Amino acid sequence: MKRVRCLLLPIAVLLAAPVAAGAADQGKITVFAAASLREAFEAAAPAFTQKTGIAVTFNFAGSDTLAAQILQGAPADVFASANENQMKKLADAGALAGAPATFARNRLVGIVPDANPGNVSAIADFARPGVKVVLAAATVPVGSYARAAFARMNGHDGLPADFADRVEKNVVSNELDVKAVATKIALGEGDAGVVYSTDLTASVAAKVKSIAFPPGAAPEATYPIAAVKSAPNAAGAHAFVAFVLHDGQTFLKARGFISP
Amino acid sequence: MIRAATIVASLLLLAFIAVPLAGLFVHLSPAQIAAGLASPVARTALRISLVTTLISLALTLALGTPLAYVLARGDFRGRSVVDAVVDLPIVVPPAVAGLALLLVFGRFGLLGPPLRAIGIELSFTTAAVVMAQIFVASPFYVRAARSGFLAVDRDLEAASATLGMGPLRTFAFVTVPLAAPALLGGAVLCWARALGEFGATIMFAGNLEGISQTLPLAIYLNLENGDISIAIAISVLMIVVSLATILVVRRYERA
Repeated sequence: MKRVRCLLLPIAVLLAAPVAAGAADQGKITVFAAASLREAFEAAAPAFTQKTGIAVTFNFAGSDTLAAQILQGAPADVFASANENQMKKLADAGALAGAPATFARNRLVGIVPDANPGNVSAIADFARPGVKVVLAAATVPVGSYARAAFARMNGHDGLPADFADRVEKNVVSNELDVKAVATKIALGEGDAGVVYSTDLTASVAAKVKSIAFPPGAAPEATYPIAAVKSAPNAAGAHAFVAFVLHDGQTFLKARGFISP
Repeated sequence: MIRAATIVASLLLLAFIAVPLAGLFVHLSPAQIAAGLASPVARTALRISLVTTLISLALTLALGTPLAYVLARGDFRGRSVVDAVVDLPIVVPPAVAGLALLLVFGRFGLLGPPLRAIGIELSFTTAAVVMAQIFVASPFYVRAARSGFLAVDRDLEAASATLGMGPLRTFAFVTVPLAAPALLGGAVLCWARALGEFGATIMFAGNLEGISQTLPLAIYLNLENGDISIAIAISVLMIVVSLATILVVRRYERA
């Protein structure tokens, strides 16, 4: 009989685990957030926990990946996206609890490795034949913002009318999120990339040089946040959204984000 | 009681594995799956995957067969260390493999500058895809081949030698045919693992359609917007291929 119990115990645990997870644990929330928010949100989390007693678990990835995960039923309480498209996808699917609110803005910036193997000194150089450009995939917010910026530069300031197409021809990799772009440039694998100014963390900034977009070219990235309708912890989700819109602003500003 | 518990436990795990895989098949109609696979993205990824995995397999056979033979027959100090090194990529996370490749073969990696001096740049190329695949998949072949060679009766090799066959001919006409089931099984497993390679590839070779975007990368990249049908179609294809692989390997294992 003893042996039977040994066998049954793991089965009972297996069966009980999902039930336990399903029972709303009001002491914690899961936040799905754009990869570019990692440093700011991780810095803000202890303050939120201290204020509310709610522990935060993060899932950082490209906003498109996160939106797809939530649409497939991932147990997210809050979604913080790096653009409005991915948030709109959830809103259209009826997956949000209430309207999303913009909590931060971010600037695009070009980066090149410190050694500058591609000899890139201006955004215009991204189109020079042979320059290895690393961007985030067009479905990732920073990838779509970057392409929009290049398109706006078409035919301006003496650039060719097909400037954006020429840059696209130089793209050697479409990375899965903005952090991967920063890594490939910091390692010197790519000659030039586009990230958010907030991605120039101390460790990245030590290995890359940043290049500003011409005034007016780069659209500002808009970050909306919303509680997810199927949130396991609805109250905690709303508390986190409120926190990010108010107290959390300090942490975002400290990391270079612009207030909405 | 024990029997009932055994059955329940078995069924639980079986269902846990089988249901999600089967779920992919019911998500789309066969026509939708065909349309997804016919899309330009899927077709390009299929071409890249086929070309790279076949090159990876050929190189693994050429370099892995001698290595496996040495591991099976050679009696040298440190063989267990070599054994462990060969097996390492099987358990190391693919992302670690990709990072390791990048830090050695990348532009500013250990071998980057000398390679560049002779005009070779590997990162973001199709060659990098092949390297990532060989790194993670070749151990599957070497392991199988090593066991296959170990199982060959050495008396038969000795008999062949007494009949005047040189070592190379003995290897080609006695050892390899006798170990053939293991070699083929290992080759198929190696190829399938290369086909599924994701982490090391995205890390080392990046992701670009027509250059480095293999089927697994295409699945990940197309989990976006309306393209999820393409991701599912490719997934279904990969499950079918994987299932065929397992059936083939089983056959050779039994033979």
